[in-house]
Amino acid sequence: MLLYNLRLAWKSVRRYPVLSALILLGIALGVGVSTTFITAYHVLARDPVPGKSGSLHYVRMNSWGVADDPFRQTPPPLITWRDAQELLKSRVPARSTATFASRGTVFPPDGTRPSRQSLRLVTADFFPMFDVPFRYGGPWSREADARPETVAVISSALNDRLFGGANSVGRTIRIEKTELKIVGVLAPWRPRVRAYALVSDPLGAPEPVFLPLALTGPMELRPAEFQMSWRTPAPGEEKLPYASRLLVNEVLFVGFWAELPNPESVRAYRSFVDAYVTEQKKHGRFPHPLNNRVTSVLDLMAELKVVPPQTKALAVISLLFLVVAALNLIGLFLGTVLARASTVGVRRALGASRWTIFVQHLVECELMGLAGGILGVLLSLAGLAVLNRVYGDGPKGVAFFQLDVPMVLAAVVLSLLAGAIAGLYPAWRICAIPPARHLKSQ
Amino acid sequence: MEFGPIFRSLLRSRARVILIVAEVALTLAIVANCLSLILDTRAQLARPSGFDDEHLIAIQTNPFDDRLRDQKVLDRLVDQDRRTLATVAGVRAVSHTGLRPWERSGNITAVRVPGTHGEPARTQSAEADPGLFDTLGIPIVQGRGFTEAEYDHGADAPLSEVQPVVVSRALADALYPNGGALGKPVADAEETQRFTIVGIVDRFYNPFGNTSEKVMFQPARSVGFDFGSRYLVRTQGNPAPLMPQLEKALLGVEKGRFVQLRTLVDSRDEFHGRDRLLVASLNAVMALLVLVTALGIVGLTSFSVAERQRQIGTRRALGADRLAIVRHFLLENWMVTSFGVVLGVLLAYGLNFGIVTWVAGAKLSLATVAAGALALWTIGLGAALGPALRGARVPPAIATRNV
Repeated sequence: MLLYNLRLAWKSVRRYPVLSALILLGIALGVGVSTTFITAYHVLARDPVPGKSGSLHYVRMNSWGVADDPFRQTPPPLITWRDAQELLKSRVPARSTATFASRGTVFPPDGTRPSRQSLRLVTADFFPMFDVPFRYGGPWSREADARPETVAVISSALNDRLFGGANSVGRTIRIEKTELKIVGVLAPWRPRVRAYALVSDPLGAPEPVFLPLALTGPMELRPAEFQMSWRTPAPGEEKLPYASRLLVNEVLFVGFWAELPNPESVRAYRSFVDAYVTEQKKHGRFPHPLNNRVTSVLDLMAELKVVPPQTKALAVISLLFLVVAALNLIGLFLGTVLARASTVGVRRALGASRWTIFVQHLVECELMGLAGGILGVLLSLAGLAVLNRVYGDGPKGVAFFQLDVPMVLAAVVLSLLAGAIAGLYPAWRICAIPPARHLKSQ
Repeated sequence: MEFGPIFRSLLRSRARVILIVAEVALTLAIVANCLSLILDTRAQLARPSGFDDEHLIAIQTNPFDDRLRDQKVLDRLVDQDRRTLATVAGVRAVSHTGLRPWERSGNITAVRVPGTHGEPARTQSAEADPGLFDTLGIPIVQGRGFTEAEYDHGADAPLSEVQPVVVSRALADALYPNGGALGKPVADAEETQRFTIVGIVDRFYNPFGNTSEKVMFQPARSVGFDFGSRYLVRTQGNPAPLMPQLEKALLGVEKGRFVQLRTLVDSRDEFHGRDRLLVASLNAVMALLVLVTALGIVGLTSFSVAERQRQIGTRRALGADRLAIVRHFLLENWMVTSFGVVLGVLLAYGLNFGIVTWVAGAKLSLATVAAGALALWTIGLGAALGPALRGARVPPAIATRNV
């Protein structure tokens, strides 16, 4: 029966080729436009660390010292080195890490011209916290953080360049003046939203080199992204070694993350942070009223507007576009279907039931919907390619917006739905026509 | 005009009327809001920096050779670089500065009039050499620029010394709203450092933080092993072909460093990239939507003409001329479209309210809605014209058949 219906549908397509093409184009445009912009929204808005975003929390506190406080409502997005060191000692969170981005010169082992690379300073917990995938080796140990050991984790792209993609665990690279032992090489990794860098550059690519945070002082690594300070260095402070300066200056440049698996631990951690700041107030720091924040990844993304509002607006507008396309379809289907009223009259008179006629026309609409949907997905590929020219990592880099399986499925369901919605009314109209009326006029 | 009969005949084909009205209304709502978003974004894109962007190249150098860890060597290198870049043929002016136009990057600092309390003014601040104003192409409208001696001394000057600064008009007005800022003192927020305004520039726009028009330039060399040094080069002609020569010249002076060059136009385009993409996307959505709606109206009107062949034939046989038939269908379409437009205006404001409340954006202006409404009326009539003309060609003889 289905086969018979499909054959009838094909016949009707052949009978009205221009109209059928218009219907197809209408669905394709509707599905194409909405899939493009909903994918753009979905890529940015989806959970950046699946399954963990609820437990990863970002810590903010207002250590701004002078009377003029620009952070009355929201505490500053970063904390000081000395506060990060104290927070790292807490055992309340299952895991915690402090992190910032720096930059340094990487000298290849073969003595060729060095290159300047972004460096990410983290503690050992960082890798399991943010589900960082490894190809060779793995993270360094917590002991390596404590000592600190001169170790590094490098990206797969840097490993390809420096070691031809071979397993380089155990080999060394030089960064600035320090020889570092490679303990891990990452698998190709390009999160679209970097959860760990939400406050600085959330859409950027991960850094090619990861180093233990404790090497910051010994290697004299400066923050490369933004930093804030309210205090002019005291006389003589500039002459101190970098590692000691970090412990006394009030520069804000460190992001702090704690893994808090349940509401109780979030509560416990909040009171720990409050207690820490209250304690610091005794030493004359944190002059402003207590204003600490422990915020989950998704809440922080919403607060920082990681998804540009315009992307949201476009997703809404493109969905309405699909509605218009579906309305349009109802009209076009109505036309093709009613034009065949007399044929249907004959079929009804020869014994076809209303249900048969209804199903026949619905099948035809669904077929058009599906074909249009497939065309629409192809159109959205072109649309996303245009978006990627602005968002991607350069010409040879990763295409930023990619259709994933859920989005393709959504597009197919959308097009079947459009076909069903657009087809129901015309199919009902045609099967409700009494056969006699059309037989009469023949 | 036959309003009455047309209206009654519309009531008989409710499905078709509802479809067109809904389509027109939704289309108008979407088009008006797209237009509003486009106008809003366009206004930001059109803002000029005031600099000679088309002839500027930004150069970032970062040393890696250990010899260059000596600050004195780096200071000397900056002077050598400035001289060398100036000698390259086609170069009009060279500056060593901390300013990073169109890069969403730099320093923001808080300053105040000494002795005052309350909210300080936040401003961009950047080191500058005497050549900066010539290089950017922004004239000093009041006072003077920096001297070579001030620049040379600046970086090592003790905090206690009062430093000369050049500020933008916006900052001067923020500090001294009654004018006469030239020659007046400025201090940082805690008043540990004092400055005197020696010059004012009129044109300055570098979007960064909330300080796009405010800047304070200090005469100082800004170079370090960890952050390198930065130059702006103003060229006589197209800057891009000069970049390889400039790179070679700098590496010729010292090759133990990285040199990165970029035209200001490239940085500006990247800065605007997402906004331009948004405008292009909205334009595309609008165009496709109007196309889809127009096709829909063509289709529905065609069917209504096809359905009423006999009726048309009868009217023609009873003496109606072709014009009357065309008029009938256009009038009918105009009535339906008008319903849609009225509903669409309401929907447009509703959608705008939703977008402004839950997403972001500007309020819809009356002119935008009016433009959208007018466009849809025109499109509606244009789409109905073809089928109406076809209807007019139905011969009166049709009426006599099959009765």
